[in-house]
Amino acid sequence: MAGFILKRLLLLPLLLLAASIIIFLLLRLGPSDPAMDYLRLSQVPPTPQALEHARAALGLDQPLITQYVQWLSSALRLDFGVSYATQRPVFEDMLHFLPATLELAGVALVLTLLVSIPLGRWAARHHHRAPDIVVRLIAFFGVSMPNFWLGFLLVLLFSVTLGWLPPMGRGGVAHLVLPAVAISLMSLSINARLLRASMLEVGGQRHVQYARLRGLGEREVERRHVLRNALLPIITATGMHVGELIGGTLIIESIFGWPGIGRYAVSAIFNRDYPVIQCFTLLMVTIFVVCNLIVDIVYAAADPRIRISREGVQ
Amino acid sequence: MRAALGALLALSLALGFDGPAAAQTRLDVSWPTNVGPLNPHRYTPNQMFAQAMVYEPLVRYQTDGSIAPWLAESWDISEDRRTYTFHLREDVRFSNGEPFDAAAVVANFDAILANPAPHAWLELTHQIDRVRALDEATVELTLQAPYYPLLQDLTLPRPFRFVAPSQLTDDASGGIRAPIGTGAWVLDETRLGEFDRFKRNDSYWGTAPAFEEVDVHVIADPNTRAIALQTGDIDLIYGSQGLISPDTFERLADSGRYTTALSEPMETLMLAMNSQRGATADLAVRQAINHAVDKASIAESVFYGTQQVADTLFAPGVPYADVGLTPYAFNPERAAELLDEAGWRLDRGVRMKDGEPLQIDLVFVGNDAVSKSTAEIIQAELSALGMMVRLIGEEESSVYARQRDGRFGMIFNRTWGAPFDPHAFISAMRAPAHADYQAQLGLADKPDIDALIGDILASTDETQRQALYETLLTRLHEAAVYLPLTYSNVLAVASPKVGEIHFGAMASEIPFDQFTPEAER
Repeated sequence: MAGFILKRLLLLPLLLLAASIIIFLLLRLGPSDPAMDYLRLSQVPPTPQALEHARAALGLDQPLITQYVQWLSSALRLDFGVSYATQRPVFEDMLHFLPATLELAGVALVLTLLVSIPLGRWAARHHHRAPDIVVRLIAFFGVSMPNFWLGFLLVLLFSVTLGWLPPMGRGGVAHLVLPAVAISLMSLSINARLLRASMLEVGGQRHVQYARLRGLGEREVERRHVLRNALLPIITATGMHVGELIGGTLIIESIFGWPGIGRYAVSAIFNRDYPVIQCFTLLMVTIFVVCNLIVDIVYAAADPRIRISREGVQ
Repeated sequence: MRAALGALLALSLALGFDGPAAAQTRLDVSWPTNVGPLNPHRYTPNQMFAQAMVYEPLVRYQTDGSIAPWLAESWDISEDRRTYTFHLREDVRFSNGEPFDAAAVVANFDAILANPAPHAWLELTHQIDRVRALDEATVELTLQAPYYPLLQDLTLPRPFRFVAPSQLTDDASGGIRAPIGTGAWVLDETRLGEFDRFKRNDSYWGTAPAFEEVDVHVIADPNTRAIALQTGDIDLIYGSQGLISPDTFERLADSGRYTTALSEPMETLMLAMNSQRGATADLAVRQAINHAVDKASIAESVFYGTQQVADTLFAPGVPYADVGLTPYAFNPERAAELLDEAGWRLDRGVRMKDGEPLQIDLVFVGNDAVSKSTAEIIQAELSALGMMVRLIGEEESSVYARQRDGRFGMIFNRTWGAPFDPHAFISAMRAPAHADYQAQLGLADKPDIDALIGDILASTDETQRQALYETLLTRLHEAAVYLPLTYSNVLAVASPKVGEIHFGAMASEIPFDQFTPEAER
């Protein structure tokens, strides 16, 4: 197990390096000129002298490879440069905005798990009956509805019409409810359907039938023999949901005026604020990779078959 | 589960609301970003409206285009128009108690001129020869040559405003320690990504604002901003296009629950037409386009009637701009005639001349919905006359690059609004980085036009200046290098808690000090 984790940890820097090259190149290959963007965001007229000055100041007159190496060496020291738009250090601001995003994504994740597992169980238990149909309908809408659209509908109902919950900003628990629901509904729907299918599949297996034959109560069978095994795919899915939820904050934070990195990144993308986009993308890659790693570890811990095969004992 | 949800809802209700806070004394507004460190001598990321709240100018721009005394209570101008002597008010202090005097003025001018690169766009910075204190309350400003818009340039929200000298850093960066000004408001607290809080300056020398506090919430999305107004999270939306979309403005106005208001025209939205490239190099084509576009339908369908149709580069209310130009009336028949006369013959729906089709590239910022709709209407109207328009929607910096090097047939452009219009805008027509320069480059008399602009800026006699403006504006109008579309204005929507809506003389300032809570009216 320790060897497995170590191997995955060693792979992490390589993955990040590859990602950094791709991010850097993709941004540079685009049609626009960072020096021009810099001047536009600084509100300086783009005279030839100003452009030349900006190119030199930003190191854009260097060959691409030199630019990359310089950026990477600063990035390794956690110096991601200064935002063109806010003229503030990028990494410092990223750290300032990150807790708000983690709070929102964390609550959304808890919400996803807390709601999807009972829903999935409920549907599986009442297979092809009313509760199953209700859950499938919820899941159908949840997966089909874009989160920003849902966000606006929720605001319209709960903030504008009923006046129960605040439409924007960060503050108490109330501020969290709408954005968290808007982000988590899709993950929640996927999870609920996945658990339902997985439970139905496991429920038909022989060890479950045997447990029933042994005279165990239906609840007991479901809890000890069906649910535990059916939860395995949920672990994998949850790893992906973390990424989805943090990705979902991109738009949801803008809609709900949530002061997190999602909104920060969206305005940077609109502004073509290169230093911010680079830092944000790399941060996202890191979060995705780390989440996948955690999922793999949890999965290995939860499923003895994987753990044992990884340790070489068949 | 139901119980748990119920409890969650109850908890959220209990924790969520601020309660009916002291609404009478606080004005909640919104802006897309934080206001920045508020250095009066710097640009991005400082927001102009906030700089104008904290810092004040020597003289102030009025709605009618005239200049009124402000921190300077009077001024004398020398015979040769090169020396201006300002007599400062003696009752003014910075919000930290420091006196506002001649030394403070000189220190600020020195700080601005020590770091001239960011201000190169502003003609005045090239013209100032020397600024010195004659006594505690008198400042003398000497120019290298007469420059009539000096007073107009001094009214700008930046850079010629005054921070307490103790806050100027000595290093070359031109930074400040804290934003201490003489204005009616003091920056009290900034929370990155959340809000900026301004408190009333209780030692303000002028009329104290009615509101004690202005909270500027950071809301990036225009829809969210409108919703925040509807739910009472903010009391006022004030600003130009973009802060609130025209259709949302119309919807809020129609609901009858809000006070809405439109300012007088602030600037002109137009297309600059390239006189040196492609079909628009032909005067007849440019004139035909001016006759072919139905601006009234654009004002109605794109702007929901919030903007007025523009017939000339500057609205007649702009200083020196009421020179009696004859508008190009909407008249597709006349447009067709002009094209026929110039040899552009219709051939299977497209006009051709010397084997070349009449095709024009119309450049706009791709994600700007208003530009896109406007461009599509223009495309349809010109195509009805056999003029093919190719829509080129690109990202902002690409559009910026095109206007700089002239790679456009027609391109969206705006005048700069008060106090820049007309003098600073025409001054920039001489700079290659501007779309106007590129658009005019094909005119045979472009060097004369540039010389004329120079003469206007250096003119010392009012009548002569008016005559020169008339010559310039007439020349540009006849050359049809612009297609004026609409005069844009500032839109404001306020909740009933806010009294009457007031507009500033400049689009870049918000006169929070003139707003009052409804109850006090």
